[in-house]
Amino acid sequence: MDAFSMGLIAAMGALATVAGASEDIESDIGSQSNPNSQVQLAAQVGNPHRIYNKAISGEPPANALWAATAAIVAYTLITAFQMSALLALVAGASVAALFNGVLSMSAYFGRNSSQKRFNQWVYLDIIRYTTPSIMAHAWITSFCIATISYIMVYMLPTPHPFPMAVIALIWGLAVGAIGSSVGDIHYGGEREFQNRQFGCGLNTMLSGQIVRKAEAGLRNSIDNAWFCTKFGGPATGMGFGLTVFLDNWRTTVFDPVTQAPYAIAMGLFFIIVMVVYNNYIEKSARRKYGPYPEYKGDIAA
Amino acid sequence: MNFDINTIVYILEIIVGGLLVGIGVHFVPVGGAPAAMAQAAGIGTGTVQLAAGSGLTGLLAAGLMMSVTDNLWLILASGAVGAGIMMGSTMLTGSWIYAYAVGAPFASAKVNYDPITGFSQPPYVAPGTVGQGIPTVCFTSGLIGGMMGGLGGAMIYYPLYLINGNAALSAMFAIGIFLVNAVIASWNIQGTIEGFHDPKFKKWPFAFKACLIASVLLALASVLITGGA
Repeated sequence: MDAFSMGLIAAMGALATVAGASEDIESDIGSQSNPNSQVQLAAQVGNPHRIYNKAISGEPPANALWAATAAIVAYTLITAFQMSALLALVAGASVAALFNGVLSMSAYFGRNSSQKRFNQWVYLDIIRYTTPSIMAHAWITSFCIATISYIMVYMLPTPHPFPMAVIALIWGLAVGAIGSSVGDIHYGGEREFQNRQFGCGLNTMLSGQIVRKAEAGLRNSIDNAWFCTKFGGPATGMGFGLTVFLDNWRTTVFDPVTQAPYAIAMGLFFIIVMVVYNNYIEKSARRKYGPYPEYKGDIAA
Repeated sequence: MNFDINTIVYILEIIVGGLLVGIGVHFVPVGGAPAAMAQAAGIGTGTVQLAAGSGLTGLLAAGLMMSVTDNLWLILASGAVGAGIMMGSTMLTGSWIYAYAVGAPFASAKVNYDPITGFSQPPYVAPGTVGQGIPTVCFTSGLIGGMMGGLGGAMIYYPLYLINGNAALSAMFAIGIFLVNAVIASWNIQGTIEGFHDPKFKKWPFAFKACLIASVLLALASVLITGGA
């Protein structure tokens, strides 16, 4: 381990944190992941809305596509045209963002026009000013992930044997899985049902009754992004940043050639710390919030 | 290529890897879309998505380890630990959201008492939901599942790399075999499960048989195709 490779690991962790945050916000503006089931349902239960609706696929395959596209374009420009790495990564991310824009718009048109019978409209102004925000966040995500892949393949002292595009594909899957598991709960569990009682999940009876009015006027997806950047996005960033940083830190501090068992033991140590920390959160939440007053059973809290 | 005893061992390793992935998915506590609205316990995403995210992170760690050593145990352990770190940080940050943004205590509706901590669950289940958050039993189960996925991914990658010596080709095949087994297991649990304490977990033998058949076919194909490349 030397200072240079430690700096690279820190840079990868920082890039991953930014990628995680922007991935989550991109999926919140576009309303892509599991919470979109409520957005999709809203019009069907009589609540037409102005929320963007682009759930083309699950987040992991979608982000794997953007990240792998960016990495392939960047790799081609670097190897075939001898372009500088930074410019090539920028160009790759731009191509990925264009892909994202095309798929987002076609998904919005398709989904909303298929709900015509429920009185759901296709809003052209939503398309005009929301799609560029989605593309911008997809650009940030794919740029960061393609850069992480570039660092892993070309710059770290133990270069990764996988090609850049495969690494970007895997990190894209991982960032999508984390964004879908972490940040989207803030959007689905809290923001979509903000006018309901706080401190519990969505009651099944309220399915589809999403909030449609904003602080001023009608709520749209940009308002949702404003809310989710306060906690859901950064938490997703922390999740992905921890994954990338801890996973690479242990194989950089401990040389995988001579000290591989230490690297594995360090990983196990991180996992045990996480179990203990989660148990602490569980206990503190139970202590602070207490049982639900509506509970009528005979099992003591 | 020569079809000798080594090839049979490689095929067996790929099959075991596929089975590990298929069974590992049953341990991962995924609540699907309801969990994303804090309406069900577990992680708010799809089974395959999360298993693939963690298992393939493990594949990255295993691939790195395999480029510097050919010790099978180190490679397998590296894959399992890499996947465990991804699964752990995902569930941990997910817990932050449940505890501090949704403001709900963690509870599972499938058991009355948490089998690990012994905490009572029904008083903490919000009305109209089937639990929320990630209790300790789900967290532990998720780590086991994630690490089994990483182990399986590494176990598929190892023989393929020995056959063809091409990291990219082996990785793509490993991703493919991984996803097939994860999808089969996901059908078996109908998309959501809370972990090893969930009654649905008892259905794992069905997935075992289906994954066995799929893994045999995939192992034969991948050994032959990559051998010819």
